Amino acid sequence: MHSQTNQIAKLSRFDPMPRIITFDDFDYGFCGWGQLVGNYEQSLDAMNPSYQQHTHPQLSNLSHWDSGSHSSWDGTYALKIQTRPVAGARNVSVKRLTFRKAGPIRLELYFTFKPEATEPRLLETDVRSVGFLFDLQDPDEGGNRVMPHIRFLNAENGEHVQKWQFKRKSPPVTPVGEEGKTITHDHLAPNDWEDLPNGHQKLCYNEIPTKVNWHYLRFDFDLENMRMLEMQCNNRLFDLSQIDSMVMPAMKNLWCMLNMGFFTETDTNKRALYYIDSVCLSGDF
Amino acid sequence: MLPLSITAVVARNELWQNQVSSEPYECGWAKEAIVYLRALKHPVRTENVRARIEYSPDGIRWVDSGLDFALPTQADQISWIPVNHFGNWLRVAVDLPDGAAITVLVSINLKA
Repeated sequence: MHSQTNQIAKLSRFDPMPRIITFDDFDYGFCGWGQLVGNYEQSLDAMNPSYQQHTHPQLSNLSHWDSGSHSSWDGTYALKIQTRPVAGARNVSVKRLTFRKAGPIRLELYFTFKPEATEPRLLETDVRSVGFLFDLQDPDEGGNRVMPHIRFLNAENGEHVQKWQFKRKSPPVTPVGEEGKTITHDHLAPNDWEDLPNGHQKLCYNEIPTKVNWHYLRFDFDLENMRMLEMQCNNRLFDLSQIDSMVMPAMKNLWCMLNMGFFTETDTNKRALYYIDSVCLSGDF
Repeated sequence: MLPLSITAVVARNELWQNQVSSEPYECGWAKEAIVYLRALKHPVRTENVRARIEYSPDGIRWVDSGLDFALPTQADQISWIPVNHFGNWLRVAVDLPDGAAITVLVSINLKA
């Protein structure tokens, strides 16, 4: 089962920093990944509609109508994040931690994405995007809340775009309820994404919607300076040292927050399916 | 390692009318489930309306499991049903008559 030898073998496909903060292999369960629920007060009616659509992630064996179970990178299950079948719909899964050392961290994962195979066609432009985010806050008063967001824009309005984007413009903050304790902001709204320089990348999609190939991704970030450093996806390296994150004044209940999120959006009236085989978050401390 | 047990909220504060179902939930890893359906607001004309449990082999095409349960008729009332043999997807479906409506919180407790 979860033997030490097996764990070492599984970790060898990552390049972690010296301290492994979390290693999430979804053959062993949800590993702390749940759904991103929107903020509310008194009633769920107060929740921003863009968050109302979110649903719980699933443990998937990637089963398909024509070929049965595809399974994951080296086991049976992957985390699946699934949108509703409405063009523009999104879903987000989140894991909530805090940090004990404001230094370099490294996120690594193996991921893939497909649309729901409701038609016997390639469907390579049905998934709009897949991406990841951090939601971070400085430890002390006077600091900031910082939200690096990166997405792979696979397709938009039927065009197979295939490029990486980031977001630095902070969305409006709206109070929730009457008590003055809760706010909401739609940081994953479809507007204000910007292209990463030299950010085009062609990912292996395969030849029908039920054949799946996995991709490696690494993202380095410095919690001390709250700056992105570098990203790698498969064979491509991206210098992120000049790329900004969303930054806003620190909020009163989020000190040392280290949240990670994975999100997907659909470009058509088909469910987008974003699969994560495993995740390794490490730090230099 | 203890067996997996989770609660998945699959419909939250959704107004259900006419023919409706919860989003597909893949849970073939689980051996048993209990589906809970809570009325978040006072339901309208849900007396004698029954919801059914549906299975799917692919998450796209659905079959009636033969299991059904009465919808709540009061706010905060919870209906529930055990589901013991299924795969690989589950959902709740209901045909509400004209004029009937219910705002639901649907959660599925799953155990490996």
